[in-house]
Amino acid sequence: MKIFIIRRLLLFFPTLIVISLLAFIISINAPGDPLDIMMNASSKSTDGGTSMNTNQANTKDFWRKKLGLNLPLFYFGIKSLAEPDTLYKIFDNEERIALERLLNRYGDWEYIQKYYHSIITLSDTLSNLNNSKNIEDPNFKIDLSNTMNDIHILKLSYDDFAILNIIDRINGFIKSYPQLPATIKDQFQELKINYSSIKTNAAKWKNYIPSITFHGFNNQYHRWLFGDASTGTKGLIRGDFCISYTTKQPISEIIYRRLGWTMFFSLTSIILAYCISIPIGIKAATKKGKLFDRFTSIILFVLFSIPTFWMATLLLMTLANPDVIKLFKASGVQPAEGFSTGMNLWDKIMASFPYLVLPTICYTYSSFAFISRSMKVAMVETLSLDFIRTARAKGLQEHIIIYKHAFINSLFPIINLIATLLPSIISGSIILESIFSIPGMGTETIAAIDAKNYPMIVAIFTLTGFLTITGFLISDILFKIIDPRIDFDK
Amino acid sequence: MKNIDLITIKTNKPAPSFRWRQFKKNKPAYISCFILVILLFIALFSPIIANQEPLYVSYKGHTFFPAFSWQKSYQITDAKTGVIERLQLDITDWKRLPCDHILFALIPYSPGKKDYDNTNYKSPFEQQDFMDVNHTIVAMPIHFRHWMGTNKTGEDVLAGIIHGTQISMTVGIFAMLIASVIGLFLGCIAGYFGDAGLSSTRGMFWMLIIGLFFGSYYSFQMRFYDLEDALATSLTSFCIQALVSIGIFAFILFIFYRLGKLMDKIPFLNRSVSIPADSVINKVIEVLSSLPNIILIITIAAITKRSLWNVAIIIGLTSWTMIARQIRSEILRIRELEYIAAARTMGFSSFRILFFHALPNALGPAMVYIAFGIAGAIIIESSLSFLNIGVPLDTVSWGRLLNEGREQFSAWWLVIFPGFFIFLTVTTFNLIGEGIQDAMNSKHRS
Repeated sequence: MKIFIIRRLLLFFPTLIVISLLAFIISINAPGDPLDIMMNASSKSTDGGTSMNTNQANTKDFWRKKLGLNLPLFYFGIKSLAEPDTLYKIFDNEERIALERLLNRYGDWEYIQKYYHSIITLSDTLSNLNNSKNIEDPNFKIDLSNTMNDIHILKLSYDDFAILNIIDRINGFIKSYPQLPATIKDQFQELKINYSSIKTNAAKWKNYIPSITFHGFNNQYHRWLFGDASTGTKGLIRGDFCISYTTKQPISEIIYRRLGWTMFFSLTSIILAYCISIPIGIKAATKKGKLFDRFTSIILFVLFSIPTFWMATLLLMTLANPDVIKLFKASGVQPAEGFSTGMNLWDKIMASFPYLVLPTICYTYSSFAFISRSMKVAMVETLSLDFIRTARAKGLQEHIIIYKHAFINSLFPIINLIATLLPSIISGSIILESIFSIPGMGTETIAAIDAKNYPMIVAIFTLTGFLTITGFLISDILFKIIDPRIDFDK
Repeated sequence: MKNIDLITIKTNKPAPSFRWRQFKKNKPAYISCFILVILLFIALFSPIIANQEPLYVSYKGHTFFPAFSWQKSYQITDAKTGVIERLQLDITDWKRLPCDHILFALIPYSPGKKDYDNTNYKSPFEQQDFMDVNHTIVAMPIHFRHWMGTNKTGEDVLAGIIHGTQISMTVGIFAMLIASVIGLFLGCIAGYFGDAGLSSTRGMFWMLIIGLFFGSYYSFQMRFYDLEDALATSLTSFCIQALVSIGIFAFILFIFYRLGKLMDKIPFLNRSVSIPADSVINKVIEVLSSLPNIILIITIAAITKRSLWNVAIIIGLTSWTMIARQIRSEILRIRELEYIAAARTMGFSSFRILFFHALPNALGPAMVYIAFGIAGAIIIESSLSFLNIGVPLDTVSWGRLLNEGREQFSAWWLVIFPGFFIFLTVTTFNLIGEGIQDAMNSKHRS
């Protein structure tokens, strides 16, 4: 038994690591610069990202340090000799990809780096010009902002033709305004020279030599997983899921607030499903081939095949529609105006009852169909075993045979189903909660996807993954305790 | 003992036809096969069944086949006056074109194209409007009727459902194609070779590992952007680039294989090591199957580019574990059978025995999970489009139509019809899966 638990735990931790790795890979591959999303989410006033005032830059720096985005990604990295160790320090995803593509084509980082820096200096001088001087000429103002936009695009472009095109346009701008300061002209000349020197000094061979670099423990993954004392994060392992981009609150707090309703519906539906389906399964198994069995098996099969979101929409359309029957409420979990003062618990339950019926039905019916079918199969199998025949031969009464002998023995596979049901109900909650507007994890997920709040999505994924594998672990161990004959290796 | 074995071999021989007879006895499953054929037919020919562009049109003495042509527009020169007229296929108002002959598709509407006379949720039963050639509103002629009503913007629901069939079927089948390729391959390796069957020398082992590293580096990591660009342009160019990558990979692996052969001559490196294929693959399956599938799919679909192929690939990559498990246990059983031993004594190579002799007999049980898997993939695809995650915004699919119905419950046709088609397709695949399962489990009565 001990050996079994140890072996089972040995599988538990690699799975955890895989989940955390997957979540991490997903979070770093999320499109866009996380800080831009964060700034956009908090301020809502976007100015194209081209001109950024110092205040915003400082906030960005603050959050970058706080979120640890200035660190390398992982313990080690496999890349080509051409790629420098410090590429991760370019924060904007798209800019980094553009540089990587340039590297992939030309292979010499030294010149590409020079080119990149010259773009940045030119863009800085132009934005200074834009901010500081009172420009009277409206045409010049428009052209200047267009050029700054061009430079922003230049940072993201990697195609030779596109780059030359943009350089041409900037050239036209500089030529048409001779009153521009000389520094801008010099910087632009430097940019042009740097770009052509990338092409002349191309060293594509460097791409063909792979190299492995080690970054040590001071990397984003390690920090995300174990936390970092200097910035006060506790890490995933101690329940810190980073900060929500939209509200800047710790995600663990948001999830903690939202978990209640999801767990309420999941647990209620599991309990209900078991209470209804076990008697039905037993009855169908004992009357195998009779009318009841055939009738229930058709109904159960149909229920099993109906997609939950169709069922939910149908129920809403028929039972919560003012034009047809308005028995139940369509959205929310309690009266929108809140409970009136002086209500006791029973009144509260009765007040929110019409809100809870339809979601509970939708949460329950598919797992109910699944459990009933499994119960029937297990029961039929047990009833055909020898010890049942012996019991019958002994002259035991039928209900004792069924409930005392067969029932107990066919319960094991049904109990084991909880482990698979719980995660599927939690994932199903994403759809159901958004249909019924239940303030749970599911609606939070959808909101996070809409707002590109990636840490939230990743946190929910990690949490459900953790719940799933813990469920499997507990059910396997319970199963081994209940039925020691079972051997999971076979 | 020998006699008994002979008998089982004899009765084993007509196995496929026996299974098929058993399957046919299962009436719901048998009927489902016909429904499946109809659904596949609709999916395959959806651009011809529902299309606003006519199948055949004869206009001013010229003959065209707009629904079948790849051209974007036609140029017509009037023989008498010499006036050049351009007909742009997708915006021409075919229903009011003064042409000599015209043959419309069965459903003369395309998905996502608006009928401005019937906006704002026209019911299938209520009076539908039609603007005739003289621009007066008349009652809808029977062959232009919206048989399943319209949505808010006046798009035909039936046309959407017919094209949705294509989308769901494509995603379901493509996802399961990926899943079964991975599942069959890994399941076969794990089941046939076990932990001791795959063995090589130390030199070969290390050379192959180094070869795998270099192969994946040169063919995938270095060519990553080439592959990405090709995927952005077209599917065919992506296939070509992917083939080039796979070719480079195979070539590098081959070089290291030859190097490994050379290494075998060195005494220390030619000791034998066995690769525990079964345990490794089993662990991978266990880890993958304990991940929360739907959340994983939703998460990845939310951050990747909106594309149906992406959705199908994600579903395929996450749902191969059941197939692999099933194939593994089948191959474990089959490899002990006598005909495999006979094939071994005849000196066939392991891979030939595995893929040409053992695998065909193990396919039946795997078919069960492939059928269930297609049903699951279709449900996931329609849930994603219902939630508007991962599926392109302009794709008209069942889930999308159902989502539109959610906004206006009085438009019951937007809820009933798409939902029913999802239900029908899912049930069809589930019934076929159950039918195969029953047929496989039924015992011979010889």
